[in-house]
Amino acid sequence: MPAFHQMGHDSENLLWTEGLAQYRGAILSPVNYDRAKVAAQIEWGRGQDGFETVFDPQLYVPNSERGCLREWPYFPNDVDTADLDSDAWWDRVLEALVGVCVAIRPTAVCSPVVLPGTYPDEYFARMVSVGDQLCTRLAGSSLRPVQTAVVGMPELATAGRPMAIASILSRSRTDHVYLVLVSQTEPRRELNEVEEIKGAMRLIAAMRGAGLTVTVGFSSSDVLLWKAAGASHCATGKFFNLRRFTRARFEEPGGQGGGQLPYWFEESLTAFLRQSDVQRITPMSLPRLGTSPNPFGAQILEQLATEPARAWLGLAWRQFMFWFADVENRLETGTTTSAALLRNADSNWRMLDDADFLMEERRNDGGWIRPWRRALSEFRTA
Amino acid sequence: MSTLAGVAQAFCATNGHRFVGPVGAGAFKETFHIVLATGAPQALKVYQPGFSPERTGRELSAMQRCSHPNIGRLSAIAEFYHDGVQYLLSGEEFLPGGTLTSRLRRGLLNGPETRAIGGQLVSAVAHIASHDLVHRDIKPDNILFRADGVTPVIVDFGLVRDLAGASLTQTWLIRGPGTPYFAPPEQLRNEKAMIDWRSDQFSLGVVVSLSALGFHPYQEACASPTQTVERVAERGPQTGRFVDAARQAGMPFLIRMTAPWPVERFRTPDDLQRAWEEASR
Repeated sequence: MPAFHQMGHDSENLLWTEGLAQYRGAILSPVNYDRAKVAAQIEWGRGQDGFETVFDPQLYVPNSERGCLREWPYFPNDVDTADLDSDAWWDRVLEALVGVCVAIRPTAVCSPVVLPGTYPDEYFARMVSVGDQLCTRLAGSSLRPVQTAVVGMPELATAGRPMAIASILSRSRTDHVYLVLVSQTEPRRELNEVEEIKGAMRLIAAMRGAGLTVTVGFSSSDVLLWKAAGASHCATGKFFNLRRFTRARFEEPGGQGGGQLPYWFEESLTAFLRQSDVQRITPMSLPRLGTSPNPFGAQILEQLATEPARAWLGLAWRQFMFWFADVENRLETGTTTSAALLRNADSNWRMLDDADFLMEERRNDGGWIRPWRRALSEFRTA
Repeated sequence: MSTLAGVAQAFCATNGHRFVGPVGAGAFKETFHIVLATGAPQALKVYQPGFSPERTGRELSAMQRCSHPNIGRLSAIAEFYHDGVQYLLSGEEFLPGGTLTSRLRRGLLNGPETRAIGGQLVSAVAHIASHDLVHRDIKPDNILFRADGVTPVIVDFGLVRDLAGASLTQTWLIRGPGTPYFAPPEQLRNEKAMIDWRSDQFSLGVVVSLSALGFHPYQEACASPTQTVERVAERGPQTGRFVDAARQAGMPFLIRMTAPWPVERFRTPDDLQRAWEEASR
């Protein structure tokens, strides 16, 4: 099923970019936008055929990176100090959240969850209970409740935990889970812990097997893994071409304005490339598996050929986002498979290695591909 | 004669009812057959004095909330002093058709019986779930029949869990309450956060398997009940003979009902009822 746009800072214009129409909806971000702007995004979405707007209250965002969140009436000032076991506290949050959402009318509302220090069963049970209360409060309205699940990936490496967590989450009264995987992988690095990846895939597969719709938020190229596990939808945004949800994920690249570097997403390597790598790799025409023509990729190449010094960050975001929606569609329709894409990438990295071809960034060596392949293989044979 | 029988007899004598005899006994209560002054038969439960008033209150509250033809009806609650001690008593409908345990002594249920009786029990479990309750002790001893001998009724809510309330089971217990042979892994392991209506679904699946196939889903031909319970607790796989037999009997849904993890079972009572009805067509 189609991808979702994960709204991030200053990314409204990508919503209505021609060429990104494959996105089925948007996960709205109260961290990055105030109420008026989110309401405008919802209004715009309402005018699009079948476009869904999903409001994520984002209580799990770390203290230092809350942006506009404090301005939202549902956001509790004492989120870092409150007794999160208190029914009264959650009642107040839910009442205010539902009040806001009934006014701005997104298609769906994610249940509020907090980011825990650890992930015992009781945490998940409490979050499901909060989600069920949201269902009760939204009953009779046109707003669809969604159960949010924040899950630490290291937790998923323990045998039995994915099934235990899935067992608790699947008790939810909703039939839709919005999954936020919290990784300890540094930003700008790929996931590479086999057991964690396998555990996350088992969690997704178990919930799908129970008949739940599973939307994996904050996805990047790992969309290949989550779709292979059966994820219904994956959500990405322009910034997720570089990082996934981590405790540090909201750290914007430091430095002065214009400090962000553009990256090209290369499906034949399942990797992000810097400009000099793009210019050296493109002429090699690495074997691909039915990669769709990417209009933004074509624009980048044309620009690099004619104006190599001109910035292409905006095009880079679009190039990645086009690929993301396109590959999700290809995986969904079965025109390609994650296993085949990763096998091809592995083969291409081996060829580059044999040729002593080094990427500009030291760690951009395809070292994550084999852990991904292994996780996928072991997941499928389990 | 037990102390509680003496209490029941005294209660009957005081109120003009007729004491018939004992029906069953648990650790904390005994049940007696009495005939009310109006001539109506009734099951009278007498609770041990001082036994967990929270748990007793939850049992009676659960029965009051449920209203279903296949769930025992609570008709009265009374306090009665006997020899200076206060006793709690409850009056429930009297079910003269015997237990499923006694029915199975005459042989396994045939296909039509399984479909009819099992379908009603599925409906009852769905009703219990609709009140956010988990019975936690569904077993042949707690399934009685009305006088017609074909209408099953779930009784004994003594271990009921109200998901809307706090758990009454200590987290440090190695094993949660319930009858081990019929309990799901999450109950055997006291994984409280995982207990919900799907735990009853598991127990019902075991009951139906025993009633229709003649063996527990996790019991190898030569295994003891203890070994079987250990296998369930360890979340081992169901046996091959069970999987084959369930399929051959046209009841593949039993495999899902008795899966080791709740997430692998039917997620909602509607899903279970649909699967049961489809297989029964």
